[in-house]
Amino acid sequence: MSLFRGAMRQHIKGHKELTEHEDVFELKDTKYVYIPLLSGSSTKLDVFVKEGDKVCVGTKIAVCNERNIVPIFSSVSGTVKGIEKRMHSSLKPVEHLVIENDGEYTKVKSFEPLDYKKADRNILIDFMMNAGIIGLGGAGFPAYIKYKFAKNVERLIINAVECEPFITADYKMIQSHKEEFLTGVLAMKKMAEAKEAVIAIKKTHPDLIKFCQDAVSGCEGVSVVAVPDVYPMGWERVLVRELMHKEYEKLPGEVGAVVNNATTAIAFGKALLYGEGIVSKTLTISGNAIKKPQNVTVPVGMPVNEIIEACGGYTCEDVKLIAGGPMMGKTIVNDKFVIDRNMNAITVLANQPFDSVACLRCGKCSDHCPAGLQPVRIAQAVKTKDKVAMAKLCANECIECGLCTYICPSRLNVTENVRIAKRQLMMTKK
Amino acid sequence: MKFTFNASPNLRQSQSTKQIMLELTIALLAVFGFSLIYYNSVFGSSYAIQEIKLMLLSLLVALITEIAFSFFTKKDKTFDLNYVKTFLSGSFGWVTAIILTLMCPISIPPYALAVATFFSIFFAKLVFGGFGSNIFNPAAVGRAVIFAAFMGAATDVVTGATPTGVIASEYNWLVVNPEMIQEMMNEIGGISTLFKGWYPGAMGETSALVILIIGVILAYRQVIDWRVPVVYLGSIFILTAGVAVMRGVGSYEGLPGFIWYPLVHILTGGVVFGAVFMLTDPVTSPTSAQGRCIFALGAAIFTVLIRIKANLPEGCLYSILLMNMLTPMIEKGLEGKQLALRKKATIIFSVVALVGLGSVLLAGSVIEAKEPAPKVFISTSDKDVNKFEAKIVSKENQDGGLILYKVDAQGYASLEKADQFNSFDILVNEKDGAIVSVVPTKVVDTEYVGDKIMNTAFLDQFKNKKLSDKVEVEVNDAVTGATFSSKSTVRAVEEVRKDLGY
Repeated sequence: MSLFRGAMRQHIKGHKELTEHEDVFELKDTKYVYIPLLSGSSTKLDVFVKEGDKVCVGTKIAVCNERNIVPIFSSVSGTVKGIEKRMHSSLKPVEHLVIENDGEYTKVKSFEPLDYKKADRNILIDFMMNAGIIGLGGAGFPAYIKYKFAKNVERLIINAVECEPFITADYKMIQSHKEEFLTGVLAMKKMAEAKEAVIAIKKTHPDLIKFCQDAVSGCEGVSVVAVPDVYPMGWERVLVRELMHKEYEKLPGEVGAVVNNATTAIAFGKALLYGEGIVSKTLTISGNAIKKPQNVTVPVGMPVNEIIEACGGYTCEDVKLIAGGPMMGKTIVNDKFVIDRNMNAITVLANQPFDSVACLRCGKCSDHCPAGLQPVRIAQAVKTKDKVAMAKLCANECIECGLCTYICPSRLNVTENVRIAKRQLMMTKK
Repeated sequence: MKFTFNASPNLRQSQSTKQIMLELTIALLAVFGFSLIYYNSVFGSSYAIQEIKLMLLSLLVALITEIAFSFFTKKDKTFDLNYVKTFLSGSFGWVTAIILTLMCPISIPPYALAVATFFSIFFAKLVFGGFGSNIFNPAAVGRAVIFAAFMGAATDVVTGATPTGVIASEYNWLVVNPEMIQEMMNEIGGISTLFKGWYPGAMGETSALVILIIGVILAYRQVIDWRVPVVYLGSIFILTAGVAVMRGVGSYEGLPGFIWYPLVHILTGGVVFGAVFMLTDPVTSPTSAQGRCIFALGAAIFTVLIRIKANLPEGCLYSILLMNMLTPMIEKGLEGKQLALRKKATIIFSVVALVGLGSVLLAGSVIEAKEPAPKVFISTSDKDVNKFEAKIVSKENQDGGLILYKVDAQGYASLEKADQFNSFDILVNEKDGAIVSVVPTKVVDTEYVGDKIMNTAFLDQFKNKKLSDKVEVEVNDAVTGATFSSKSTVRAVEEVRKDLGY
C-alpha cells in the first residue's frame, strides 16, 4: 500500500497439498542414465572416463574448468556407453555421458569427508568447490563463489521458501535430512563469517517451521523466520527486501547478505559428512495432468519419461510438460530429456489455451514486477523496436520470474516480450 | 501424446480483462439503478422510463457503430457473426456508452446523446486503433461534444436547477460571508443532501455515497487502482481548503470554511464519479503507480482551476482530457526501474503540487466572492416617495380607538399611466399614532414584482411603528419594480400621517 510503488509480489495458489503429505518415492530402476556434460552455460568439460569404463556411484566423471571449477560425479554404478547429444532441459542440445546402470548402486567416496568445525574458511570454500556443490534453487551457479567474495556478512539467509507453485521437494528434503541440513547451514554460516543465519520458510507451512525450529534449537545464531506466502518470495532480492529492508545493485553481498537454497545446504552437508557429491535428486512430480503427483528421488541423468511412467502417466492427451515449476520452468516438447542436478520439479499441466485480448495498459505488470521494471513499457518498446527505450527501461535486469504474464488480465505473454528485449539488447552489446 | 510448447510462465491469475470490464459494468449499472430510484420517486415513473430509453439509445448507437466498423475494416468485407462477436467482446463499447449516459442530465435530447455516443466510440476510440490504443477517455470526449455542440439543448424546468449550476452561475464557486453561505446551502440542500445525491443533476454523478461505496469495492477487487481516486479527491480537498483559508471563508453549521468548502467542491458535479470511473480508466492513464499519482494530482489541479476561474461550470471532465494528453509525457519521464525512480517521482509530484497550489491560490485571490446584496431603506425622505401622489379614499372609526384608512397611492404602474393607484387598508391607533396593520387590497403594479409587497415579512415592518417617528422600511430585493411598490406603500402610510397631523 505504498503510493509510489506497487505490490512487487503476488500470492499464487500453491497446490502444495497435492504432494506435501505424500511419501517420497525412490526410483532406481533405470537402464541407462544420461549425465548432461554441462555446467551453467559451459559445455567445455574435461571428461575422465571413456566407453567401456566401469564406474561407481560417486566416481568423478568430468570437470568443468571454464571460469569456475565444477566436478561432476556418476549417479549410478555400471558401464560407460559413450557420449550422446540430446536435448537438455534448458532446451539446448547438449552432450550427455551415457552410463548403463547395473542396478547395484555400488558407492565410492568421491572425496574425503570434512569436519567443518575444525576446518577454516578457505578450506571449506575449496572443499565446496571440489565437491561440485551448485546452487540447487534453480540457477545451478557454483555455490562457492558466493563465499569466496563474501565480506562483512550480517546474515546468511537459507532459502526454504519454495515459492513456485506445486513444488514441495525442498520441504521433503529438509524433513528427511535434518542432520545434513543442519551441518550444511552451520558450515555455510562459518564460511560466510555471518553474524547470524536465518532459515526463511513460508508462514503457510507451520509444520515445517516447527520442525526447523526444533532442529536449530541450541545452535547459536541460527533462527527460523516466517515469510509471506507470495511469489517470488524465493528470489534472493525479494528475500533480502523482506528480511533486511535493503536494496542492492547486483549481488546481495553489497548489503551484507548471502542467500543459499536449503537443498544446497543439504547437498553440502552430505558432502561434508559422507564425501558425496550431487548424485541423486528429489523432485516434485506434480500438476493437474499427472495421474499420481508425488515426490521422487532419482539418480541424476534419469530420463523424464520413465519418471512420468512411475507416477502413473499423463491424464490427458495434450499437456504442457514443464522442466521445473509452472512459473519459471520451460515447457519441453518431448519427455526424453533427463534430470539434471539443478532441477527440482517436473510439472505437467493440461493444455488450456489462454484467451487473450488487447493490452489495456492497466499497469498490473509494472505494479507486481519484483525487480520494479515496467514490462508494459518494455513491450511497447519492443513493438516500436526502440532499443534506446529498452535499455532505459533496464529490460536486461529481468529475471523472467513470469509474474507479469501471470498477473496480466489480458492474458498476454508479457514476459516473452521482455525476453525479446533482453535478446535484442544482448545482440547490441556484442 | 501431444506436448504443447508455451513460453513460461504457464499459470494465469483468475482475473481477466473481460471480468474487470464485467465488474465495471455491474458497478456502473448499480449507479444507474440509484438514479432510476431517485427519478422514479421524485419526478415519477415517466422520468425513470426516459432514463432507460436514453441508456438503451446510447448502447444501441455504440453497438451499431462497432458492428459497422468491424464490418468495414474486415479485409474481405463479409459478415461473419463470430468475427463480430469477438470484436465486440474485446472492444467493450458498452462501458463507454454507459459512462457517457450517466454523465448526461436526464433532460438531454436523445439526438444529442446519440451523436455524442458516436463521437466517443468512433472518433475517440476506433480510429485510434480500438480498445487499448485510444489516448482520450472516450466517454469524456463524448461529453465534451455535448458541451461544445448541444449546451443549450439540455435544459428542463423541472430538473434544471442543479446544485453545480447554482454554485457555478449564482455563486461563482466562492462564498465568504456566513449569511450567503447559509443562503447557498439552503438553495443546494446542504452537505448531507449533496453526499446522498438526492438532487437532480447528471444522471449518474450525483450520489457521492453510492459511488464511493462502489469505488471501495472496485478498489478492493483490484478493478481500479485506489491511488487515483485517493490522490485526486485528496488533492482537490487540499487545494480548495487552501482557497478557503486564504479568502477567509466563513463557517457553516459549525464546520469551518476549510472543511465545508472543500467538501462542497468534492460532492458537487462529476468529481467523485470522475475519480472512480473515469480517471481510473487504465487505457488513458499512465501505467506505473508513480505516474498515476502524478496524473491524478494534475487532474485535481486542473479541475479546481477550471471551476474557479475558467468560463465553464465544471472542471472534472476537461481536467481528464487535459491529463490524457499529458499521459505520454508522464510515462516518458518515469522510464526505468521504479524503485530507483521513487525519488524522481517524489520530486515531480512535489513540484507539481506546489505549482498547482500556487496557481490555484493565485486564481482564488482574483475571483470575486458572492456578497449579500446591499440593503435598501425606504423612507419618506425618498424622492420617489415624495413624487408619488396619494389620496385618502375613506376614513372609518372602529372599536378600541382604531381608525381604518383606505388609501390609494401611485406606484410602479403610475410611471406609465398616472391614474393607476395601488390601494391599501391602513389601520392605526388614534391615541398613540401607532400603526396596527398595512394591507395592500389592490396592486396594479407589474405582476410578480408588485407581489413583493404582499410579502408578510415586508408588511410586518410597519407594525407598531409610531407615526410620530420617521417611517422607514427595509427592502430585501433591490429589483426596481418591487422597490417602487414598496415606495408606494410608504407613500400611503405617509398620507395617513399627514391626515392625523403628526
